[in-house]
Amino acid sequence: MKVKMEIEPGRQEPEIIILAGAESAELDRLVQELSGLALDPIPVWRGDQTRRLPQGDFLRFFADGKGVSAQTAEAVYAVRLRLYELEERLDPRRFVRISNSEIVNLEMVTALDLSLTGTIRMTLNGTVTVYVSRRYVKKIKETLNLGRRERT
Amino acid sequence: MKKLSGWKARALLGFLLGAALTPLAVCLLSTMMLPAEAQAVGSAWAAGLHVVTPAMAEAFGSVGLAALVQSLLGGLFGAVVAVSTLPFADGGRELVVRSLAHFCATALSFSALLWVCRWLDDPRFIPLWVALLALLYALIWLGRWVGWYVEVMQLRTLLGLDPGPTPLKWRETLPYLPFVLLVCDGLPLVLRWVDRTFVVDVPVLSGLILPYLLLPVAGFCSGVSLGKRQGVCPLYPLACFVCYMPMVWLLFNSSALFHCFMVAIPALMGNVLGWLYRRAVPKKGNV
Repeated sequence: MKVKMEIEPGRQEPEIIILAGAESAELDRLVQELSGLALDPIPVWRGDQTRRLPQGDFLRFFADGKGVSAQTAEAVYAVRLRLYELEERLDPRRFVRISNSEIVNLEMVTALDLSLTGTIRMTLNGTVTVYVSRRYVKKIKETLNLGRRERT
Repeated sequence: MKKLSGWKARALLGFLLGAALTPLAVCLLSTMMLPAEAQAVGSAWAAGLHVVTPAMAEAFGSVGLAALVQSLLGGLFGAVVAVSTLPFADGGRELVVRSLAHFCATALSFSALLWVCRWLDDPRFIPLWVALLALLYALIWLGRWVGWYVEVMQLRTLLGLDPGPTPLKWRETLPYLPFVLLVCDGLPLVLRWVDRTFVVDVPVLSGLILPYLLLPVAGFCSGVSLGKRQGVCPLYPLACFVCYMPMVWLLFNSSALFHCFMVAIPALMGNVLGWLYRRAVPKKGNV
């Protein structure tokens, strides 16, 4: 396998392109591993202070009218990214969108309940309650069914 | 906007189908059910086939006008039925509000069809048909709920969580069944027997104390207890109602049917109150 690197001055984010004659399991594994390496910490703000937190620390990302916030077990931070941008950056095996305004960390789900009126209530880390839109249930199942989630 | 257009298209298709199928349905039913002399009223339309009931044709003065009104009402009913999945698009409060609004629209258009088109001899039967429609609604809702429950069960399994409560919490309700049997069956039998031992003719215990005091208090308190422990258990009031039913016929008569409500409604109220208490004051382990 040939490895080649090109430097493009002014490029914001590195991009990896794999050229191959046909698909193979080895190539799929390589893509997965590279994708895993590319999972950067997420920059968050609290007041004037900024921090870069590892993705596993987050319970959820949600839009609250003013912008996007990120919640960990300890605090809520502001995020200067839109939800769709976060979706592209977050680990697809762990994070999934559950409604138009919310992305959750599936590793943090501790309970899932259905009310008589069809509301699906999800509890994260035993304390935070969020509501799943039924429009996203199929996508959540697909994400989990694909085995992309690595439960520990 | 595109989605709204989809609903409009469905409503329009439903209207057209309803408008076309209603006269056909009347035609089919009238040839089977109406007496021969009544069938003759609409015979001008097609030999031996009738698009409106004789009573409606008479009320509107002409078969043509009656058929037009019937088709419009049939179309309206068809349009409402065509968008019947709309309430299920969301959940929670929206689902309840939209379901109620849709039920009202369906009940109104259906009642209009029944009465304006003179499909019923007596308007007093309309509430009965609306009650049947409500039952159908409840069955459809239950079917949808079971579907959602299965989906949530699948998600729980995939997430590696506990299976969660049983459908409609039937298993969680079971421990309260002996109490229900005691209150709704044992207690009336005993009180009726005691009443018969008295010299006075009035059954004070089984006719007054039981339905107006014991049943409501027992239903309410047990409902609160169940609600506090397990949340809303919709089968519990139903179990109270059903368990008392044999006593109505065994000890009293149909006039005592209200006893069933005297235990079921307080049980429902208590259950909801217990659930509200549980939500307001969560205990450790309830999460």
